[in-house]
Amino acid sequence: MGDFIKHPFVDMPDRNPEQVIPNDSLMFTSEEKTQIQTWISRYPTADGAVMRGLWLAQEKFGFLPPEVIKLVAEEIGIPYANAYGVATFYTQYFKEKKGKHVLDICTCFSCQLCGGYDMLHYVEEKLGVHSGETTEDGMFTIQEAECLGACGSAPMLQITNGVFVHNLNKDKIDALLDALREGNVPAFTSVTLPQDEDDLGGNRRTDVTSVESYIVPPVSETLS
Amino acid sequence: MPNITVDNETFEFDGQPRLLQLCLETGVDLPHFCYHPSMSAPANCRQCLVEVGMPQINRDTGKPNLDESGQPVIQFMPKLQTSCSLDAAAGMVVRTHKSSELVKRAQKDNLEFLLINHPLDCPICDQAGHCPLQNQTYKHGPEGSRFEFRKVGKPKQIDLGPNVVLDGERCINCTRCVRFTSEISKSHQLTIIERGVRNYPMTPPGIEFDEPYSMNVIDICPVGALTSKDSRFRARIWEMSKTASISTVNARGANCFYWVKDNKIVEVTPRTNMDVNEYWLADEDRLDYRKFNDNRPLGPTISGADVAWDSAYKAVSDCLKGVDGTRIQFLGSAFATVEDNYLLSKLASAVGSAAPTYLAHNEVGHGDTWLRTDDRTPNTNGCERLGIHAADVAALKSRIQSGEVDVLYVLEDDPVAAGLCSVADLSGVKVVLHYYNSTNQTLPAADVAIPAAMAVETVGTLVNDQGHAQRLRPAKSIAGVNRTLSMEIGKCRADRHGTPFDKWYDESNLVNCQPGWVSIPRIAAGLNVEMNYKGPRNIMAELSSANDGFSGATYEAMGEHGVRLSEMGVTA
Repeated sequence: MGDFIKHPFVDMPDRNPEQVIPNDSLMFTSEEKTQIQTWISRYPTADGAVMRGLWLAQEKFGFLPPEVIKLVAEEIGIPYANAYGVATFYTQYFKEKKGKHVLDICTCFSCQLCGGYDMLHYVEEKLGVHSGETTEDGMFTIQEAECLGACGSAPMLQITNGVFVHNLNKDKIDALLDALREGNVPAFTSVTLPQDEDDLGGNRRTDVTSVESYIVPPVSETLS
Repeated sequence: MPNITVDNETFEFDGQPRLLQLCLETGVDLPHFCYHPSMSAPANCRQCLVEVGMPQINRDTGKPNLDESGQPVIQFMPKLQTSCSLDAAAGMVVRTHKSSELVKRAQKDNLEFLLINHPLDCPICDQAGHCPLQNQTYKHGPEGSRFEFRKVGKPKQIDLGPNVVLDGERCINCTRCVRFTSEISKSHQLTIIERGVRNYPMTPPGIEFDEPYSMNVIDICPVGALTSKDSRFRARIWEMSKTASISTVNARGANCFYWVKDNKIVEVTPRTNMDVNEYWLADEDRLDYRKFNDNRPLGPTISGADVAWDSAYKAVSDCLKGVDGTRIQFLGSAFATVEDNYLLSKLASAVGSAAPTYLAHNEVGHGDTWLRTDDRTPNTNGCERLGIHAADVAALKSRIQSGEVDVLYVLEDDPVAAGLCSVADLSGVKVVLHYYNSTNQTLPAADVAIPAAMAVETVGTLVNDQGHAQRLRPAKSIAGVNRTLSMEIGKCRADRHGTPFDKWYDESNLVNCQPGWVSIPRIAAGLNVEMNYKGPRNIMAELSSANDGFSGATYEAMGEHGVRLSEMGVTA
């Protein structure tokens, strides 16, 4: 994104890319197909299931090359172009191969003011790659993200479209990168909201230990 | 009927029109980009904002609240509304830019937003001059830009498909093209990719925008983002004159405009006719115009030698004179107009010959359920209504080969290319040929060859496959006709055919040809057969009263949009 501000040119996608996923593995299992059908039945038209379908495919194949997007579109029964438009709209759908962990470091207003760029540059220096790039060992991809809706605990980052790491500082980043290298993805941490102050004795900090009683899992985990 | 008040003027309306459409129809020129009457309204250009209010209803009585003067109190919606996505309702009160400063300001500011990343390359843009964005910016937009930063660059000169070129920067993401492919043509080949300032329309990887109606997106594009690969950079809009006529590439006869520069057809664009083609035109109708410009004959010939028109007509009369009528074969043409075919059948009966037949040009599998047809000729239906039926090619071929035909009279067709016979078969036959292009394969066998005016040069009537009789208007001039004499007031005004003909008039591109309704009476005169018509208008007037198949099809009735003829007389 930073580069885009200096040189605002939108690249053209490859219009005839080579197939990445071989044909013999380019398919859904019968369970996955049933799952997609369940999602379709939830919406008035099949289009509604496209985001779920793409998400499922991304979790299965790791990213969404055109052939996978086409597979999803065919499975749901919607035009390929529609699915492709949706996939390119959302930055959370990876159109190319990313590292094992994608670090989305927020540099939107609140995080920027609280040192978001310092955190970004620290990670960049530490991993030796720039924003948008993947480390040579294929472990990490660094990305700048726009607001992820956690301004109360700025600066923050998100790990691979999943858990948030709040109130970043350099020590926390060091520990996080070490943990991720060992394969330990941090657990979900709850953030208290102003209306919970009474429950928490007026404590609005997000890293207090007394929040155990008040952990709400993400909505995505409550739906199946 | 319910009433609606727009800018203090009250209109009645019918049904449930969309507010923007209603305003446009009542003469309120609301600016808009993404709205198209045939498609859904996504309301994403935000240009058609208006203030909308409804009478305040008292909840207790269910009646409108009245103010001191007894008028209903109007409750305006708190925010401006997009008129394209709002249905008109009884009692609705609308304030547009004509009466509301707020709306005026909204339209101006919206244009400023739209223009932030627009390249403003109007001087090199093909859309300049007929660009809704340009026009509306001049009318409603800001005086200048306050955007001091680098504009976002997007991919340019991308071949979306064989006929359409995309300039991503000019796009304002109205999604008209995407909706065309998803709602009208159902090819689903386009989508908007990326998001925010980066988005633009694109095909998904591995897909080409190659549907047979792809070029319609060029017309509906409100900016110069989608341009025609064929005609881009060839003429500015103000250098061309456009003539309302009909396409002759297939039997549907889609309504179109022929754009003429220097007396040559440069472009063909659709003309709205809700009875035939609605707003659309197939790519084949647009791209098949070079036949009007290239390989045109230089003048009449007798056995290949250039002659004057009078000599040529005399030679044709001589060919027909003294020959037994049953040994003359007249071939009408489904390419020629109703008038020309009618005159030919009169000529045929005058010399005692059987009714003419025509050569069918069917391409099985070419048509679809929309605007393209298997039949590649524009007037099959018209011929059938005249009693001119498709020739039995095999029988006619054997007749020619066995020497039963002395004279073959061909009106605007190419029997050799159509497979009727070979040039050698015609060695013993006198051939009279009215022809369009010097590439005509029957030409070497022709004894007298008469260059015929094509659909863009003649005046006439064609009947499409659905029985819709429509008028051809002369888009370009031919040699020997001074059309400045038929102009009513001056240049740029329609002449007596209702066509503003080429105002960039160029003597050098005049084709030396004659329409059938001029040449056939001249030939008939040589045989002492009288055909006293002032012009095709009179021929059609006679036909509409004499032939039930054409009843009602006078020039006055056909006008711009044609007449749907009754089913009668159709045997095809």
